[in-house]
Amino acid sequence: MKKILAALALTTALTLPGVALARPVTLTTTLKNYGGDGAYLAIYVTDAKGAYAGTLWMAGGKAKYYEHLADWYRATGGNTAEINGITGASVGAGRTLEITLDLADALFDAGYTLHVDAAVEDMRDGPNDASVPLTSANAGREVQGRRYVASLGYSM
Amino acid sequence: MKKTFAILLASTAIAVGAGIPAWSAMHGAALSSARADENRLVRLASDDDRGDDDHERSGRRGDDDDRHGDDDDDDREGDDDDDGYGGSATANPAPAGTVAPPANGLFGSGAAPKVKVN
Repeated sequence: MKKILAALALTTALTLPGVALARPVTLTTTLKNYGGDGAYLAIYVTDAKGAYAGTLWMAGGKAKYYEHLADWYRATGGNTAEINGITGASVGAGRTLEITLDLADALFDAGYTLHVDAAVEDMRDGPNDASVPLTSANAGREVQGRRYVASLGYSM
Repeated sequence: MKKTFAILLASTAIAVGAGIPAWSAMHGAALSSARADENRLVRLASDDDRGDDDHERSGRRGDDDDRHGDDDDDDREGDDDDDGYGGSATANPAPAGTVAPPANGLFGSGAAPKVKVN
């Protein structure tokens, strides 16, 4: 019986860390009432060195406009393979976009930063419109954006 | 003894089933980071209001005047998907839910994102 319990304890200990290596995270981006068309938004992550690590969401489905998401485009060359399966509609002025993703735990408290690039038709581009470091302490907080983004935050 | 083996087998199967995808995600994150170090040492922080991104984009995205409250996917009339900006055709990305998210090491699983616009 003791052997069984020991085996169970061991395998449970091995299993739990694996289960806990990812968690659902909700990213919330609210736009200002800037008085223009729907905004294209690139939501992506950079690592501790400031280098592009990957994209979490693209709001806006037409690749020909991605060059106006300047920082994201500079890092990716507009490669749509980066955003297959994580692309949705553009977001209207004053609206709030909520995306829930299953994100790796390794992204948090490891120097990664969440960024939003924004672009609106016939208006100025908004590279790195908002950014927030991905830390446990920042969860539930909101940061202000610069041009089109009113606020950016995440919860988990 | 058979029971012990059965329990060990079952729990090991569970550990492997849950552990390998999670380990892969972690490994993918490390690879992604390494790839960024090697190939993309582009510093992205745009802290300032740069003058070079302030250009107007006249004529961009067709001539649709449906402006206020436009949260749609800008599928505008007369705006073909294959008329690439600047003359080059670029394939549009696959929408969420049609394929799994990219294996960039950021996602814990292949689950489709849940999206809501208020």
